[in-house]
Amino acid sequence: MKHQVLSVLFALLLLPLNAPAAMRVFSCEPEWASLVTELAGDHAEVFTATTAQQDPHYIQARPSLIAQMRRADLVVCTGAELETGWLPVLMARGGNPGVKPGTDGYFEAANFVPMLGVPQRLDRAEGDIHARGNPHIQLDPHNIERIAPALAERLAKLDPGNAADYRQRLEDFNQRWQSALQRWDTLAEPLRRMPIVVHHDSWTYLNHWLGLNQIGTLEPKPGVPPSSSHLAELRETLKITPARAVIRAPFEEARASEWLSKQAGPVMLELPYTVGGNAQATDLFGLFDSSIALLQEAQP
Amino acid sequence: MNTDGLNLIILGPAFLAGLLVLSTHVPLGQQVLRRGIIFIDLAIAQIAGLGVLWAHAMAWEENALTIQLTACSAALLGALALYFCEQRWPEILEAVIGTSFVLAASAAILILANNPHGGEHLKDLLVGQVLWVDLNQLVPVALLYTLILFVWFGFGAAHRSVLFYILFALAITASVQLVGVYLVFASLIIPALAVRRFGKYALLAAYLLGTAGYAAGLVLSALLDLPSGAVIVWMLALFALASSLIIARLTGMSTGVGKE
Repeated sequence: MKHQVLSVLFALLLLPLNAPAAMRVFSCEPEWASLVTELAGDHAEVFTATTAQQDPHYIQARPSLIAQMRRADLVVCTGAELETGWLPVLMARGGNPGVKPGTDGYFEAANFVPMLGVPQRLDRAEGDIHARGNPHIQLDPHNIERIAPALAERLAKLDPGNAADYRQRLEDFNQRWQSALQRWDTLAEPLRRMPIVVHHDSWTYLNHWLGLNQIGTLEPKPGVPPSSSHLAELRETLKITPARAVIRAPFEEARASEWLSKQAGPVMLELPYTVGGNAQATDLFGLFDSSIALLQEAQP
Repeated sequence: MNTDGLNLIILGPAFLAGLLVLSTHVPLGQQVLRRGIIFIDLAIAQIAGLGVLWAHAMAWEENALTIQLTACSAALLGALALYFCEQRWPEILEAVIGTSFVLAASAAILILANNPHGGEHLKDLLVGQVLWVDLNQLVPVALLYTLILFVWFGFGAAHRSVLFYILFALAITASVQLVGVYLVFASLIIPALAVRRFGKYALLAAYLLGTAGYAAGLVLSALLDLPSGAVIVWMLALFALASSLIIARLTGMSTGVGKE
């Protein structure tokens, strides 16, 4: 009897250890946090370093960033130099060898998609130092489709006990994504060749997918005001090819768009850019639903 | 509330960086107040930052020493120019300092005009990223500051203009890269301002106040999960205000703040 009580107590003590602890995932951007949640559900506890209201090129050092990096089992980021301003130094401060680049604990989404905007030749004088191409890959849903299986495989590798579940969830996600893709493609058909101006070159993949015709950029370098000759040139271009909309992300100021809208008449459009970018973009599905709906409003 | 960040490994290096900055900036700040050249640190820090950006623009960043030498040379040149101005036209010194700040800041925008990460560099220079500091970075600064403090207290640098400007330029060049312009300004001016009626205990009181400000700022930024540099600036100011009020009460003055 006494032995039985003891063994039950012992089993109770072990119980919390036997219950599978959720993987801790550190996601650099909200779109990957959303994808991890789709693929892992309750198996992962996801921390997101940036919000849709922040430019992922640049973030402020906060204590929680280091704390989360220290305990992460998996770090999921865009890569392609998007986070070079802060991720390397955060990893150095986090001192977590399990998530260093090159290990299984580090997942770089850009490795799984064909990159657009890769410079033909690298020249510092041209000021373009995104050597691996435009890093804003989340805005083409076909890229999400390419990244999801790789991410599911990585989750399965790190947490083999739940591998079957990750694969099952991937299949389910793929099915829902395929039907959403069909819906989006039909809805977006009239948007083809729609002329647009963008605040900064963050929309390359959306343009590529929807066939939008980008005819200019307001702010060629983020955070650095454009020169007057650049703005004059843009005005001239718009006189020849009027743009329907001038597109900006939630973290970009409206002032430049307002200026152009007054000068040349395109509709100002704030697209969600990533998950959380507006009230409708609560997950990856909402991100594209809302983006297309907003673009349709600009198209008469 | 969030207690994840309350970890010595996370906050410790930033706190040590703060102590280092305070060690030189508190006595320097008292002298800045005495001379009435409040904005000199903004100007010198911006000029030093300009040196760093210029070194980057010239693609010298492979060599950390070259960057530091460029930054120090820029700051020293700026400081000596201001010293010359102080000797020659003391009545317009503050105006010249203000103008130098604006010129250096605008020059930074021009240098960064072709850099896609320009905005980030500009912001980093101002706000700093005190939490990213790691211990290895602090070693050269500690050596430099030991030397500066030795010259400062050993040779009475406070009373020799040229020496003051040189030490000031070197101290600021190191600190602005660690903690950013805002914290440099706050560390210089706020403790010195708060203790100006403390008499012979002024220096000690300013050190204590600065230390308390950094400690409280870091802990609060961890609890609220807010950017540390900005929270520290506010904590320094709150502690300074509180200590001014207390000293005003103790010395029997009705309003001690804002009344010279």
